[in-house]
Amino acid sequence: MPKQGQSVESCIVSEFKKKVGDSVSKGDILFGYETDKATFEEEAKVDGTVLAIFYKDGDEIPVLSNVMVIGAPGESFAEFAPTAAAKPSEVTPMVPEDAPLTANKADNDVNGAITSTIESGTAPISPRARALAVKLGVNAAVLRGSGPGGRVIERDIKAAVNCPVSGLARELISEGGFIAPQRGSGLAGTIKAADLKPAAEEAPDEYEVVKMSNIRKLIAKSMHASLQNSAQLTHMLGADATVLQKLRARAKKALEEGRTDANITINDLVCMAVIKALKKFPEVNSHCLGDSLRIFKTVNLGLAVDTPRGLMVPALKGADQMDIESLSKALKALADDCRSGSVNPDLLSSEAASFTVSNLGGFGVEWFTPILNVPQSAILGVGTMVLRPVLKDGQVSFVPYMGLSLTYDHRAIDGGLATRFLKQLAAEIENLELDI
Amino acid sequence: MPKSLYIDPQATLRPEEHEIVFPRIPVMQYDKSVQDELNEGNFTREDLLHIYRDMFTIREFETMLNLVKTTGGYNGVPYNNPGPAHLSAGQEAAAVGMAYNLDTDDFIFGSHRSHGEILAKGLRSIEILPEEKLRKIMEEFWDGATLKVAGKGFEGSTRELGIRFLLYGAMAEIFARTTGFNKGLGGSMHTFFTPFGIYPNNAIVGGSGAIAVGAALYKKVNRKKGIVVANLGDGAMARGPVLEGMTFASMDQFRTLWEGDMKGGLPVLINVMDNQYAMGGQTRGETMGFTFPARLGAGFNPEAWHAERVDGYNPLAVIDAFRRKKALLEKKEGPALLDVVTYRYSGHSPSDQSSYRTKEEIAAWEAEDCIKTFAEKLTGAGIATPEELEAIREHIRGTIFEMYKLAIDESVSPRMDLVRENELLGDMMFSNGSVDSMGDGTPEVLMPMEENPRVKQIAGKCRFHIDADGNKVSKMKAYNIKDGLFEAIIDRFYKDSSLIAYGEENREWGGAFAVYRGLTEALPYHRLFNSPIAEAAIIGTAIGYAMCGGRVIPEIMYCDFLGCCGDEIFNQLPKWQAMSGNILKMPVVVRVSVGSKYGAQHSQDWTSLCTHIPGLKVVFPATPYDAKGLMNSALQGTDPVVFFESQRIYDKGEEFHEGGVPEGYYEIPLGEPDIKRSGSDVTFLTIGATLYRALEAADMLKERYGLKAEVIDARTLVPFNYETVIKSVKKTGRIIIAGDASARCSFLNDLAANIADLCFDYLDAAPVVLGSRNWITPCHELEAAFFPQPSWFLDVIDEKMMPLKDYVPVGNFTSAQQIIRAKKGV
Repeated sequence: MPKQGQSVESCIVSEFKKKVGDSVSKGDILFGYETDKATFEEEAKVDGTVLAIFYKDGDEIPVLSNVMVIGAPGESFAEFAPTAAAKPSEVTPMVPEDAPLTANKADNDVNGAITSTIESGTAPISPRARALAVKLGVNAAVLRGSGPGGRVIERDIKAAVNCPVSGLARELISEGGFIAPQRGSGLAGTIKAADLKPAAEEAPDEYEVVKMSNIRKLIAKSMHASLQNSAQLTHMLGADATVLQKLRARAKKALEEGRTDANITINDLVCMAVIKALKKFPEVNSHCLGDSLRIFKTVNLGLAVDTPRGLMVPALKGADQMDIESLSKALKALADDCRSGSVNPDLLSSEAASFTVSNLGGFGVEWFTPILNVPQSAILGVGTMVLRPVLKDGQVSFVPYMGLSLTYDHRAIDGGLATRFLKQLAAEIENLELDI
Repeated sequence: MPKSLYIDPQATLRPEEHEIVFPRIPVMQYDKSVQDELNEGNFTREDLLHIYRDMFTIREFETMLNLVKTTGGYNGVPYNNPGPAHLSAGQEAAAVGMAYNLDTDDFIFGSHRSHGEILAKGLRSIEILPEEKLRKIMEEFWDGATLKVAGKGFEGSTRELGIRFLLYGAMAEIFARTTGFNKGLGGSMHTFFTPFGIYPNNAIVGGSGAIAVGAALYKKVNRKKGIVVANLGDGAMARGPVLEGMTFASMDQFRTLWEGDMKGGLPVLINVMDNQYAMGGQTRGETMGFTFPARLGAGFNPEAWHAERVDGYNPLAVIDAFRRKKALLEKKEGPALLDVVTYRYSGHSPSDQSSYRTKEEIAAWEAEDCIKTFAEKLTGAGIATPEELEAIREHIRGTIFEMYKLAIDESVSPRMDLVRENELLGDMMFSNGSVDSMGDGTPEVLMPMEENPRVKQIAGKCRFHIDADGNKVSKMKAYNIKDGLFEAIIDRFYKDSSLIAYGEENREWGGAFAVYRGLTEALPYHRLFNSPIAEAAIIGTAIGYAMCGGRVIPEIMYCDFLGCCGDEIFNQLPKWQAMSGNILKMPVVVRVSVGSKYGAQHSQDWTSLCTHIPGLKVVFPATPYDAKGLMNSALQGTDPVVFFESQRIYDKGEEFHEGGVPEGYYEIPLGEPDIKRSGSDVTFLTIGATLYRALEAADMLKERYGLKAEVIDARTLVPFNYETVIKSVKKTGRIIIAGDASARCSFLNDLAANIADLCFDYLDAAPVVLGSRNWITPCHELEAAFFPQPSWFLDVIDEKMMPLKDYVPVGNFTSAQQIIRAKKGV
């Protein structure tokens, strides 16, 4: 196949004018062919017989490859058959992996040196990064930019948002090629080098992104606000629950015998003890308002309720005015309202309760650190009962102990007061007397 | 290179004639008296008096302007006219003689010194038009706005009203009033009135030289009545467009190859107003060597253009010459050349102190003054008494003074208020029409479209880059950009009878890059032909063709050759729609092929030169789908479009449009950039073939750094919708604008500046321009160092936007290097 012009790589045979076995004379037209620009005809250069034709009409034939063989009858021709077209050579990368550093890299280093002389707070910042910093509440002035000339660019703000970043992690993020998680595995969510994922290894199949429901967003917001806006810590203390178990057994019996219509639970009993303790420690039954305390004269008891739509904390107003039966019924009604969605929204406000009880005992949790329902000054986490060996009169016996976790706002309550309150609560639980 | 024309070595190497014999060119041979003409019945008494009236009207009009320019008023009424006034006092006999035999189907084109020609042609048209038709023209023009002022309270005859209309319309135009013939947008050097067959004058010396030839081409191809006259000065005979236009008009093919009633010469007459001066240079004896402009005809064709040198100080001698030349052109024996001897009394312009000539010389010509001597001939032959002639002069002075007062009166002749109506002129730059056919006939074609060999060939191609089985289609079998352009163009040839295409190698060769392959079989010669290698004529004639009402595709084979038609592309093509007050349309699609591989004079991307000039639309598609859709839009429109094509990617298949390139007609509106790949981390905005290197860069960026580039193909540069780009930059915060034009002063910078302006608050880094180096284009083997490469994109991201981990730059894009290069001017 003749090469018709510099850029032609192949031609299409429009029609073979000869077939195998035909005799041809010099000058006979063998076949017509075309490029995208023009049509041509190929003439026989020698006399002879067509021994082989390697293509058919309409085939695209690479230039300079054999199309047919003319010779004397009986001559061999197979050796002229065109070989399969060579695979196009792989594209060579522009820069070999081991290419030496060029002078340009040195220039970059010079820029790096300039960066280090930039005073904190005077680093240039891109308009986009500035806007993002304002939006996310990031103090861009203290950041070291990773952009050209130390410019603070978008990715620096993204890296700085919400959680601290370790020195090494920051270095890696600056160099590019890594994606930082929203929250790291270090202390207080610090992003550590180990938390970084190589950007290229993004594997979307591993997860799916699900939008948060509105209630989830509200919970997230209030939980986050709680941790950001208070000084909370947790004390833990066990209480002997022998009395509670006895009271619960009596209550059950009374319900079965029809002497009452209230199904008094362990939690109801704990709440009753909490109310009694709070009456003795009014500072704990309070809201912390930053520069003042709102100390309640009644107990508005918050109860954490797990619902299919998420955590809800309704308040039972005037809980200290109730006897155990009414308290039990009221708490049950409130929890049912939450689960059915008919609860009065005003009762869900964190301002509505003066103190909250969150009970995970039913799920086997022994201890936990509940998060304050700010502005409330304290919250009690109630754990499950565990048998503990107790040495009494030289005898080891097993006593059911209940885990009490008190999270409190250190701004409002000192450790001593919190401890005394917790001990008082344990004493109330251990010595609870009720007319059931 | 038609095969039918055999170049016989026998006749070429051993000719029968051994010298070139030039025809004799007559010089000043008219010798009839007024009485002779009357005896021959060539004129009536009234005709002769009208000739006198018309000459004096021009004289008084130019006198008025001269007084305004030099004394600040006329007849004691002050006026300041800061604009130009290139006056033609002295040349009246030449102008009136020129116009006498022309009717409104005959078109004249002019120069910067054409007030006299306009008035002469206008006065003659008013004289010969049926009164009803004349009144209709005046009433319909600008919805009667011009007539309303010129004719207020006038109760004379329609023809007298016509004279007032003409004088007022021309004056108002010169004084930049909205009631002027071109809404005041043309001014002194571009005043014209097409209903009287007065086509544009031209402030570029010789500018009409090729445009008038294109107008004649229009008349011939579209079988329209009339001839075309280009009124040029003797100085213009030095200009390339005139010589190229004459070359084009002289083409043998009109007689040898054009068929049927198309056979024969173009009806064009180059009329040289030989007023002896080219500004201050003297053409005879100083700046030229032809002695007489008439000599030039001998260089162009065996008939020497039927050239003659005639006495332009005697209107009857000029009329005699025009009568004979017009008859010749009507017999298709054109073109023709007249060299009309005359003299201008005023300087080049009123600021010219005539320091290059003596007072004696001017006085000697004034003693021979054409109006004075004609008056003497009239009185001598008993046609009129001196008193009767004075009465004519008095009447003209009165009319001109009246029209002068109206034309300078702001309350009846206002100017455009471009401060208050800020977009008024902007909205006049383009006509933005959508017209299937500019022609009114049935398109002449040689075969049904489906029988065309190229159409059949394309039918066997795959219209997407991968076939139904998902395999990559080979180059030969893929429907490519050339096919897209071909389909749009042949479709229009079968729709629009006025459409013609020409350029170098356009016919049998199919264009140097085979876009037109198959058109030769489809079209007769007069719709597709080879032009001389004369770019100024290729574009200049296309302008004249379009101005008269036709649609045309001139081709510039290599972008680099735009320099050869600089005046036509930059000064003529973009200007006439707005400068005519939107009377003219300019449906010209200039196909320009951008080269590569061929070094410094064949590889330049000059899109930026075209985007810089207001009035041009500039298109540069990079895919078959876009090529076809944008060409369809360009051809459907009524505006001048410079349509760039890249030789690098002519054979690219369609990689983007789902389902491949549609077989039917569709338009892609000019001005809409197209997102070829979406991404979130950086935007690449590309012009032309650079698209494919940007996509390679996007692949590298994804594979190595996990960054996703959004790649946008500009497709059209003028107009340009920034909204698509703004949306992208708001998302990504970073943008690289890349194209193959040398970076300095390229349109890339214009895009970058606008994006920086419009997206400032969203940018994470300044927009980066990636153009070619500011060098000569080196040979193909070295091009990778010159044109933007995929690696350059990563280099600038690392250097200017966000350092990439462990990246080793290939090129040097540091600020320091940028400054050093600028210091060196490279």
